[in-house]
Amino acid sequence: MTEKPEEEFIGVNIVSDIPYDWAMGPYSGRLFREMRDNKKLIGIRCPGCKRILFPLPEAVCGWCNTKVADDWVELRDTGTVVQYTVAGMPVFDNRTGRLKGAERPLANVKLDDGPYIMHWLEEKDPEKLKLGMRVQAVWKEQGRGRGYEDILYFRTIGESSND
Amino acid sequence: MANRVAIVGVGLTRQAARRPEVNDPEMVNEAARAALADAQLEIKDIEAVLTNCIDGFDGIHLTDHWLVDGSGSYMKPGMKLHTGGTVGATGAIAAFNMVASGLFDVVLTIGHQKQERGNTMGTLCAAAPGEMREFVQGAIGAFAQAAVQYMANTEAKLEHAAMVRIKADRGACRNPYAHLRLGLKTPEDVAKSPILIWPLRLLDFCPQSCGACALIVASEEKAKKITDKPVWVADHETVHELQSEVVFGGEEEKSQEVASRRLYKRNGITNPIRDIDMAEVYEPSTWEEMYLYEHFHFCERNMGWKMVEKGMTEIEGKFPVNPSGGVLATNAIGATAMIRIAEAALQIRGDAGEHQVTRDVKTAMASGLGGTNWTTLVLLKRSL
Amino acid sequence: MTERVGIVSVAQTKYHPNRADAKEGEVGWEAVEQVLNDTGLKFIDDGTGIDAAVSCSQDYRDGRTISNLNIAPFIGTHFRCEEKVCEDGINAVYYAMMHILAGIHDTLLVVTHCKESTASPSLVENHAFDPIFMRILGLDFLIAAALQARRYMDKYGVTPEQCAKVVVKNRGNAKNNPHAQAPMDITVEDVLKSPMLADPIHELDAKPVSDGACAMILAREKKAKKFTDKPVWIMGVSNCYEAHYLGDRDLAECQALTNAAKKAYRMAGIKNPFKEIDVAEISENYSYQELMWMEGLGLCGQGEAGRLIDRGVTWMSGELPVNPSGGLLSGNPSEVAGMSRVAEAVLQLRGEAGSRQVPAAKVALAHGTTGICGQLQTVMILGNE
Repeated sequence: MTEKPEEEFIGVNIVSDIPYDWAMGPYSGRLFREMRDNKKLIGIRCPGCKRILFPLPEAVCGWCNTKVADDWVELRDTGTVVQYTVAGMPVFDNRTGRLKGAERPLANVKLDDGPYIMHWLEEKDPEKLKLGMRVQAVWKEQGRGRGYEDILYFRTIGESSND
Repeated sequence: MANRVAIVGVGLTRQAARRPEVNDPEMVNEAARAALADAQLEIKDIEAVLTNCIDGFDGIHLTDHWLVDGSGSYMKPGMKLHTGGTVGATGAIAAFNMVASGLFDVVLTIGHQKQERGNTMGTLCAAAPGEMREFVQGAIGAFAQAAVQYMANTEAKLEHAAMVRIKADRGACRNPYAHLRLGLKTPEDVAKSPILIWPLRLLDFCPQSCGACALIVASEEKAKKITDKPVWVADHETVHELQSEVVFGGEEEKSQEVASRRLYKRNGITNPIRDIDMAEVYEPSTWEEMYLYEHFHFCERNMGWKMVEKGMTEIEGKFPVNPSGGVLATNAIGATAMIRIAEAALQIRGDAGEHQVTRDVKTAMASGLGGTNWTTLVLLKRSL
Repeated sequence: MTERVGIVSVAQTKYHPNRADAKEGEVGWEAVEQVLNDTGLKFIDDGTGIDAAVSCSQDYRDGRTISNLNIAPFIGTHFRCEEKVCEDGINAVYYAMMHILAGIHDTLLVVTHCKESTASPSLVENHAFDPIFMRILGLDFLIAAALQARRYMDKYGVTPEQCAKVVVKNRGNAKNNPHAQAPMDITVEDVLKSPMLADPIHELDAKPVSDGACAMILAREKKAKKFTDKPVWIMGVSNCYEAHYLGDRDLAECQALTNAAKKAYRMAGIKNPFKEIDVAEISENYSYQELMWMEGLGLCGQGEAGRLIDRGVTWMSGELPVNPSGGLLSGNPSEVAGMSRVAEAVLQLRGEAGSRQVPAAKVALAHGTTGICGQLQTVMILGNE
């Protein structure tokens, strides 16, 4: 026999499964409680550069290296879509650690009070999506203190605000 | 830098979607041996070994510990650095620093990744804090959004992205180590590939590759003994950026602009495309390459697409960028930023074979990109 | 070395079994804030403050790819340089020193953070083992250490009582350390009666799960002398890798440690370590390791460390106090462990170690391990003159 036997590459399939229990800390913790109990968004204002730290409020504003004080600011849950992408790629499911299909478009929403939030859009039809369209958060009936997951998605409330 | 440092050996491995015929230590060994052969050294001549990658993609905690047999670090000093996508460059810069410090004369540094395993997308999503992880789509989402903005702000069209991809493929087809070598000729060839996230097509984005890269770095005295073609490390700059709302693209100043401004100022570079002869940049998407031309001041803001249209950055062009095929053709993330440095070094040596650029390369720049738009820059010269 | 690198300020958080009240980065910030307040230095680009940062953390511990994203807002990295080392934090100090000697920046902030409580250490550590041959055996660092302990104790006749004395000494020493997680007044019997985790390692023989952080500011000599009147100099440092597969190593020996120690001593000009070193902070993840690492460090002959502890040599009142801080056995997270040994050594050399001070300490040894049975060993010699 002069044929070279086909090489068999043996591979071993291992599932890597580590549950993580992250503490949210005093700042994100306060935001999450506000979202869960009052269906409100809050951020903390940096005394140095005046930036509102949201969606990740922190003890220090890393932009200007200033410690925050206690200047919590309520943020309206309405905003404008500045970027969006439609379906296509899978997304992470924190409960299973696996990827799942994306049900809705993902968008970067600039809230009316300044900060941005990344979240789903209720509107699935790509024809109806436009940069600049106005959206508002739709909250879960019962918040569970899981932060951004306590918002179901953002609903279109108006046409593009672009001139 | 306190002491002069040169790259005296370059080792690359063949990159592919899957490298089932080697395990990680063997793959790393390939790159290490290639670098040693290039420098005509043996592992006993190496004083320390750095083995760098992103652990999450490989599914191993403390990857460098597992790889001691393949990397040659057994019974030697060394460590691992990991800064996300820039890790290959950070690993190289760490080697430069170790030698420039005077504590070591000859250091081997390796960047590697085996992305056939595990889930690249999942691991990239895991760069977001746990509580936000469900609201990202890896890096691709951010790049797609940057593309939408680029077309809105400039006269760039989908065809320009296609031209970038074709340029990358032309280089890759002349590079035996590249992963994707497709023979693309026209924008229609690019348009045939499926849409990932509009407007990114599969071909607008880098692949997931398996491969490794190794560099041997030596002090001035040793370098001159080891090779007659040392590639001198003139300077380097690392600039991180806090995660902003618009990670890629957008209006705010970016780390690339800050890093290149500082590097150019320190090195008397006033006209980058004249004072530097070519660049290997870390462009994970076609659109990002156009942004990088602007952020690195190769052209005015909003004019990156024009450089592409005029063919300025082709291999035969006025200012070649990524003659190797770049990240669009090959992306084993742990190795990629180091490969940019390796390719720039080969260009200076005149050893880039079929993808050697037409312009004589005395000075080359290599960039890395990773994390939340972090930038590394390395400036290499044929003579200091 | 022509110009030296000095440690200008150090800080540690109080180590704690479960910091459910703070994120990883926030724990790191607690240590960073202390060194910033201590020195008054700012994150600034004009050479009068902190130029750049070296961070140290592990993705698998934090559960976050690119784990230095957790510490990013707190270490002045926006539009500045930061590099992350992925080993025990003592290696971050080592790397920062080389970064300074390379002439890139003069003053660096170094910070290591780790919350072991976030994920089961056993699951995380299992991922460090070769995925095909070792991981399926359910190995973690404890079980691997148990294999090493058995081998070492059998080969050299080290007894469980001698190992237990390490615990009694260190947990007792910890009473003098305000950062220590769990100081304890215990006896050898208490240790030997504690539940057996993996033979021969009892619960009290093992370091407990811990959360915390350590931060330091390093500067080149001229600046170090300006920033503090008590700079501590890094006189010698080196590290070395062992083999990975447990079968490739004689677990009773630690050649890598001996190699690293020899290089560090040579660099520091130390010829007789036992005589010339005034205090040693050694990373004893498990009680037997303090004895084994002492031998690897050349502080005594092979197999003799047990006799040293019997004779009281390494206790606070002895000739060479080892781990006046209480060491890892009193609670220190992985990764932070080795760096906090450096911090303790610095406090000793500054005369700021309070009731755990070793009188007139001039030369200190700090030691760190990373990985399975100390696969990467790092040795650092510090001095105050």
